[in-house]
Amino acid sequence: MLFNTPQFFVFLAVVLGLFYTAPHSWRKPILLLASYFFYMSWNAKFVLLLLVLTTVDYFAGMWIERTAPSHRRKLFLIASLSANLGFLGFFKYFNFLAANLETVLRLPSHHWDIVLPLGISFHTFQSMSYVVDVYRGEQEAISSPLDYALFIAFFPQLVAGPIVRAREFFADLFHWRRPENDEILRGAFLTLFGLAKKMVLADQFAFVANQYFGNVSGHAGMLQAWSGTVAFALQIYFDFSGYTDMAIGMALLLGFHFPVNFRRPYLAQSITDFWHRWHISLSRWLRDYLYIPLGGNRHGRLMTYRNLMLTMLLGGLWHGASWNFVIWGGYHGVLLSAEKATGTAAVTVGRPWLQVPRMALTFALACIGWVFFRAATLHDSMQVIGQMLHGARGHMLLGPWYLRMIAFALLLAILEEKRDWFERVVKGPAWVYASAMAALLIAVELAGVTEVTMPFIYFQF
Amino acid sequence: MSASSPSAVSLQPAVKSRRALPRLLLAVVLFCTLEFAVFRSGWYTRYLEPDSTAGSMQIVLHIERQRYQPGTPRVLALGDSRMALLERVADGMTGETPYRFDTISLAGTHPRCWYYMLRDIDPDARHYSAIVIPLASYQDEDLENLADADVDIYYLVPLLRLSDALDFSMSFESWDLRRIALQDTLFKGLAYKRDLWAFAADPHGRMNRVHWARTDAAAANYAFVGPHNTMEGLQVDWDARKIVRYPDSTTPQIRSGLRDELLRPTGEYTGKRTAYLRKWLGRIVNRYRGSPTRLIFMRLPRGPLIRPYVVNAPTSAVREIAARADGVLIDKDYFDQLEQPPLFRDALHLNEKGCEEFTVLLVRKVTDILRTAGRN
Repeated sequence: MLFNTPQFFVFLAVVLGLFYTAPHSWRKPILLLASYFFYMSWNAKFVLLLLVLTTVDYFAGMWIERTAPSHRRKLFLIASLSANLGFLGFFKYFNFLAANLETVLRLPSHHWDIVLPLGISFHTFQSMSYVVDVYRGEQEAISSPLDYALFIAFFPQLVAGPIVRAREFFADLFHWRRPENDEILRGAFLTLFGLAKKMVLADQFAFVANQYFGNVSGHAGMLQAWSGTVAFALQIYFDFSGYTDMAIGMALLLGFHFPVNFRRPYLAQSITDFWHRWHISLSRWLRDYLYIPLGGNRHGRLMTYRNLMLTMLLGGLWHGASWNFVIWGGYHGVLLSAEKATGTAAVTVGRPWLQVPRMALTFALACIGWVFFRAATLHDSMQVIGQMLHGARGHMLLGPWYLRMIAFALLLAILEEKRDWFERVVKGPAWVYASAMAALLIAVELAGVTEVTMPFIYFQF
Repeated sequence: MSASSPSAVSLQPAVKSRRALPRLLLAVVLFCTLEFAVFRSGWYTRYLEPDSTAGSMQIVLHIERQRYQPGTPRVLALGDSRMALLERVADGMTGETPYRFDTISLAGTHPRCWYYMLRDIDPDARHYSAIVIPLASYQDEDLENLADADVDIYYLVPLLRLSDALDFSMSFESWDLRRIALQDTLFKGLAYKRDLWAFAADPHGRMNRVHWARTDAAAANYAFVGPHNTMEGLQVDWDARKIVRYPDSTTPQIRSGLRDELLRPTGEYTGKRTAYLRKWLGRIVNRYRGSPTRLIFMRLPRGPLIRPYVVNAPTSAVREIAARADGVLIDKDYFDQLEQPPLFRDALHLNEKGCEEFTVLLVRKVTDILRTAGRN
């Protein structure tokens, strides 16, 4: 059941209806049942995995809190992390590790048919952060298994985030209040806005990106390489941020407040700035649970660069089990380190004649990174990069319709950056809000890709 | 979304309470108003691509509305591409019949389409002296599941009302088609989306095609002289289920059609066709119950050669319905004389000569039926 299907909206309507009409004490069970139903609608048997991980981390949290600081306490932490990483490693990285071992040991190749459970990368990270926070004493252990299970399985963010911290989620859960009118308006608008981003923009750019990356050698030419890659850059942004908007919007409608996950990343002036705007909840997780524990920037320049590289390499690997993702992470690690070394990470304030070239350069660098993210093989990636840097001129794959969409999206992004149009619409007169909502509905109806249901890209992670 | 993001701002107390429900309702009302004004008012359907399924339906019905003249005794023939009535031939028989014969036949349409087409062009069920309803067979042989004919959705979207949404969508068997039918009936913009973008890409070309179709297509169709090729020379070994000889200069497409039609296995009886015909012919019959319009059912000429295989169907929905509704069932063998290779252009369709002879036979028969009914 994908967010961009009519079935999901029927499900959402039923959940909202039941949630708000049921007695207060039934609301948590309703949300939990709905979340498990949502998960099982994809693959019912993997619900056992979700239950096992939830049980392990629930008890780990309880035991860690009850145990005085000791080796035993640490053992509980290690056991919990091992369970999470073990399952993640098996389902996501087994074939990758096996293939590499086979290559190194020159063994015959064998591919195991392992299905990746939905959202495993997200809910294991969320679960691990909870156990670590309890270990650090930053979070009280949750005594109700139902509450904890809801934290892990809450359907708006179960499959692709945002990665919510336990204290944020439980603050809402324990002090739940009916959403204010403004929050309902914002939630409804975000949900529809996210759907429009996915169906009207992401899915249309997907046609061009899939056409290009599906046959890289058949599209030789610099303009093909750049336009195909730009199409993917826009597809992945609108796809993932559309999903996130929907998740945040639906959570708001249920009285929960999720953290911001995207802040117009393609207006970033440096790669450092880009990572402050792209998949913010993952960046925050990597910073708090990997980069800082590794030492962060506290032990001199070289150690800082090492920590950055390690964080980004693992961040890349988190996205997928292939060398392409490792290279993508490493590429960003190198750029972040280079910016730190040259002092070019900070954003320019004012002076648009400096800002615009910096944004363009950052976007181009991000696009080069996306090649590794999207190309099917390393060979394809190198071919695309080669075409981007020194291919023959070729021709654009993005026609006038796509260029108009890009111009419109850029205008909206700049207006949001400078004028905060979203808040103006939500808080504006009734006719402004209603017209914007109606325009989004019309856009989804007339310009959305409805012939095929394209899954969200991050659902595969 | 933003630095002053929706979720961040939402943690702060609202400055001023804005009632959510009226705003959300207003948004829905605005959307529905726009949808209604553009797609349900009939404004956009005038400009549908005439070569598309929905567009061709609109043109056929437009032509029929234009030729309607109160007081003129008329006979209307329904049907798919096999309905071979030639209006110009029928018009040439003014000495033999007082009725004007017209057809709104459209390739690939079935009784479900015909019901909605009739509802659209004959709202009070009194426009016609008779309506001719053709069937491929009087036996309920299940060759295809007509309930799941997805093309019906594309043909009928312009004719469907909001009140049809549930009834129409549930008339399909597959849940996927039910969903598409419901979706397209409720949100017509979804159904017209591709057409709209094609229109936006070439508005001038579209307007020209629409103008031609609405003003000149009727005359062009009327004057059209059909294909003259025949199936002469066609020989089939029925025991070996093999075509021994194809007619000279037949295209691969026609050969493939001949094999598909003549050598196909006999349809297993499942009762689905019976249920479908009972439902949709039944609805047509109910619309004309108590009206002066006679419903006349006929069996189409089957093909250049007749398959010798026996169809074991225990029911005949059309016989039941014709008997129940006081309709007229033309003798099934009435058009058998046309079932010969020189009168067919492929496995299913009569050629120009066949159409002419079919028209003459049909006009005479229907006129005779109506005269007899008038005397009674």
